[in-house]
Amino acid sequence: MRRVLAVLAGLLTFAVLWEGYKAVGSPDGTVLFGVRILPRADDLSMPHLLTVLRRLGRPELAGGDPVWLVVLRACLFTLGITAAGFAAGALVGLLLAVAMQRFRIVERGLLPYVVLSQTVPLVALAPLVAGWGGSIMPPWATVAVIAAYLAFFPIAVGMLRGLQSPPAAGVELLRSYAAGWWRTLVKLRFPASLPYLFPALRLAGAAAVVGAVVGEISTGTRGGIGRLIIEYSREATSDPAKVYTAMLGAALLGLLVAGAVSLLEMPLMRHRRHVEVATL
Amino acid sequence: MSAVEIKSVVKVFNQGRADEVLALSDVDLTVGVGEFVSLIGPSGCGKSTLLRLIADLIPATTGTVTVAGKPAGQARREQAYGLAFQQAGLFEWRTVRRNVELPLELRGIGRAERRARAEEMLALVGLAEFAGHYPGQLSGGMQQRVAIARALAVQPPLLLMDEPFGALDEMTRERLQSELLSICAKTGTSTVFVTHSISEAVFLSDRVVVMSARPGRITAAIEVGLPSRDEAARQSPAFFDRITEVRRALRGAPLASEATN
Repeated sequence: MRRVLAVLAGLLTFAVLWEGYKAVGSPDGTVLFGVRILPRADDLSMPHLLTVLRRLGRPELAGGDPVWLVVLRACLFTLGITAAGFAAGALVGLLLAVAMQRFRIVERGLLPYVVLSQTVPLVALAPLVAGWGGSIMPPWATVAVIAAYLAFFPIAVGMLRGLQSPPAAGVELLRSYAAGWWRTLVKLRFPASLPYLFPALRLAGAAAVVGAVVGEISTGTRGGIGRLIIEYSREATSDPAKVYTAMLGAALLGLLVAGAVSLLEMPLMRHRRHVEVATL
Repeated sequence: MSAVEIKSVVKVFNQGRADEVLALSDVDLTVGVGEFVSLIGPSGCGKSTLLRLIADLIPATTGTVTVAGKPAGQARREQAYGLAFQQAGLFEWRTVRRNVELPLELRGIGRAERRARAEEMLALVGLAEFAGHYPGQLSGGMQQRVAIARALAVQPPLLLMDEPFGALDEMTRERLQSELLSICAKTGTSTVFVTHSISEAVFLSDRVVVMSARPGRITAAIEVGLPSRDEAARQSPAFFDRITEVRRALRGAPLASEATN
């Protein structure tokens, strides 16, 4: 109940800030020494929230489906890609973390490259993936690969920390039970890593959404919310509310993925302490 | 056959490197079946190292460690001992019962028998009604009792304990000492017990083994032989005499009854 209220309060605060700034801000923005420090508050740059909501109900083009339906369909398409990329990224991240835990030499050799992988600009990488993958898989799969490429990283790093989190006494206890590496992994390291895994999954979920949206745009894949954002932004001068409907859809997608991780987390983490995790 | 036999064991850490440490030098120790032996000494005297050698958590550099007539490694694989540390080290994601079941699980014992055995052990340490709780819901003393129940779960002939009561308050500590003694008496378990506390060592043990640091070695072994081990024993002159004896041995003063082994 309190959480629901908190969410509503957050939405309300955002709406008040948006409309409040629109009411007091200069329509041309505030420019200081030739640098715009506050954005334009005119209807073109910041449409009223009500306008955006109304736009959702009206047809996309004259006589077409209403915008909310188009956005929803695009969201579902991108959700599929995000889920595929997220699952693949989680699997790869998990395997990498286990390999790095098992062999110190793998950790030493691989971890720098895992970090390096995230410094490559996505926009440069996406056309490459589309080029290589285009011949062997459908366009949505190449976008999923890009999403997975972003999603595996927080999981690999967070999970590695989690697998290494049991104290020496716990590891020795398992050794005293004559448990080998695999059983130590299953009985001790995996359960001990859960408090590290879930924050990592949440980051990975957000990264997968970003990867899917950016991947759609840079590979030119049709049907998803990323594509829709690009299409609608071309109409931004004539129909400024429209592009915000697509952005709303992308934001909802992120919330949906975060919510799914929370649903997974709740039953598993009931009796667990929570740890602070920074994966970068 | 003795429960533990240690013959001329030497342990060197980081051998051949600049930070080489001689942790144990030429240690001999025999623990009889059903005997309760305490290892006492200043920090860094190698008493924990000695315990971990018996547990085969680390290998001896030279010398042999025999547990129940078998090499230490084989004894470990056969779970011939139970282990308890200063930190209870319970798995927070398992209920108390499932924590006690852990060593049984790894032995491949069936669910029903595991459950029965765990409940029996929990009854032994007086925590039967807490079987469904999680470790985070228990006090430190209760957690330590769960850890002892876990160590006893496979009904090992030997119990190895490294300052198991070190983090507890004095009252809890004394109560658990009495409980441990009655459990050991009931089950006939031999025990090697590492401690910092002289009174704890004297109260619990048949024999107190005094160690000194740099290099770690055994300097004295004191037979305690208290007539009884109840609250009255804690007040008896014999108890205080033994405490004085152990204290002197720790300080390195020569003593008539000092028998180095």
